[in-house]
Amino acid sequence: MNVDLRSRTGRWLVAAVALVALVLFPLFVGGGSWLNTAVLVLLYAGLAQAWNILGGFAGQVSLGNAAFFGIGAYTSTVLLDRWNVSPWLGMPVGAIVAAAFAVAVFFPFFRLGGHYFAIATIALAEILLILFTNWAFVRGARGITIPFVRGPDRRPTDSWAFLQFNESRVPYYYVVLGLAVLAVATAVVVERSKLGYYLRAIKNDQQAARSLGVPVLRYKLIAVAISAAVTAAFGTFYAQYLLFIDPETTMRLELSVLIALVAILGGVGTVVGPLLGALVLIPLSEVTRSQLAGSGNTLDLVLYGGLIMLIAAFQPNGLVAIGDRFRRRREAVRPAGDETERGEAPLVGAPGTRN
Amino acid sequence: MPALLELDAVSKRFGGLDANRDVSLVVEEGQIVGLIGPNGAGKTTLFNCVSGFFPPTSGSIRFAGNEIAGWAPERVLRAGLARTFQVVRTFPEMTVLDNVMIGAFARTNRAGEARARAAELLAFTGLAGRAHARGADLTIADKKRLELTRALATQPRLLMLDEVMAGLNPAERAQAVTLIRAIRDRGTTVLLVEHVMEVVMPISDHVVVLDSGRKIAEGPPRTIVRDPNVIAAYLGEKYRPRDEGTA
Repeated sequence: MNVDLRSRTGRWLVAAVALVALVLFPLFVGGGSWLNTAVLVLLYAGLAQAWNILGGFAGQVSLGNAAFFGIGAYTSTVLLDRWNVSPWLGMPVGAIVAAAFAVAVFFPFFRLGGHYFAIATIALAEILLILFTNWAFVRGARGITIPFVRGPDRRPTDSWAFLQFNESRVPYYYVVLGLAVLAVATAVVVERSKLGYYLRAIKNDQQAARSLGVPVLRYKLIAVAISAAVTAAFGTFYAQYLLFIDPETTMRLELSVLIALVAILGGVGTVVGPLLGALVLIPLSEVTRSQLAGSGNTLDLVLYGGLIMLIAAFQPNGLVAIGDRFRRRREAVRPAGDETERGEAPLVGAPGTRN
Repeated sequence: MPALLELDAVSKRFGGLDANRDVSLVVEEGQIVGLIGPNGAGKTTLFNCVSGFFPPTSGSIRFAGNEIAGWAPERVLRAGLARTFQVVRTFPEMTVLDNVMIGAFARTNRAGEARARAAELLAFTGLAGRAHARGADLTIADKKRLELTRALATQPRLLMLDEVMAGLNPAERAQAVTLIRAIRDRGTTVLLVEHVMEVVMPISDHVVVLDSGRKIAEGPPRTIVRDPNVIAAYLGEKYRPRDEGTA
């Protein structure tokens, strides 16, 4: 193969092939548990991608993204439950509510540095969880069951208008695929724009960024608003996928941690990282659970945790860095010489020779 | 025409310490002004006050007709006043080109335009050959040059350089001097902070000397080197010339 997969055309080619494979995927697996795993992979790929905009690009590690997920799930579901509003409308409304909530709450959070910021985000999601558990308007701890859309024969049926598919699960797959593509597209646009550059500068050195005119707080708020909106959209999807939500399924701490974990193990601050993380971690957790959890012991969690530890120990920059490792080895073999094309320094002395 | 930068009785107090006390100075457009003084004289504090990193305790700072005392750093930058840091603050995980693009984005929203401007400035400062190296992988001399390039990319009217010469060998210093002259010739006024007198004297049009937070002398370089207060500040009271200057 002669196309360099890291070149611009190479990357588009990989993306196109991957997309075609994803579109055709249900034709090969039907509607069984593999389809369910694929839906979860795409769900977490999207959620990790959204997390990545704030946590990866801007380096602000949030362990409370389940709060946005829950707000998205609850906004559309309450609208549907009380006023029969279609989730397709509830989804953007939830995204806007989550973004507004994120901006209001993170405005003071961004005064906190490092670990304190992360702790505050954990507290945020936990407070929301307790609040929703005791809030009668959203039916508290009992949760909300979304009623079936029924056909003329009174049997549960499929409805694109109300984002609910009871005869075949395949449409859910295409909906979450669409959302995941949207999340990736958002990340790509952010990465290449002024916003992405500014976020990376903030991650690298906030004082230096300010000295170059970067309004640090404003750009962090933009990042968290985008991150929250995308996360909330997946929350709506998840509610429709399960047709039942309660505070535990949509806002629990493990969900927040898993979102961050997928992005971190995949590779922080890159668009490919979260996708790779979801592709490896989610099937792993599903397989270990289905194969080992039945016996009643917790062997699945031991294995799952062990694998995470292995990745963290040997691949601290995430799974994306594995490619770099092989590349470096290849380049080390290649004879030196590429380095000599350095430009002459017309005004100030020879540039440093360290590399 | 009023001066580009005008400080009037600027003071900065940290608890019981007067880091700056009633410092007044003027920087005219098109000049290279040297701000010198021994270690701990308050040069960097003054810098931080002017560039918005600390609000001054009292006094006025006028830049290009605006009272900028107390403005946030990003606002000061947009008004046309850029700075570098004494301890280099390159973005370590970003490439040299991306580092400079952050500066260029102060004046444009389009990545392509920022990239073109950054590339042009890297050629000007002689870093073009390192454009795709990571910030962390540069030598100290190159990091300093990168900070300067990055600050220039914001298209400042006044560029404030905090000890860009420190840590450079004599050859690198000579090249830095050439570069600073070239920057002035492109139309950017330069305020240079150094504690090493030898590097400031040959290129400055005007020199201001701080000691213990106060201004003790100012004038053209050749009179500054003979000033008894300056000599005493650098070498100690013992070396104060017998013919005492104004105290």
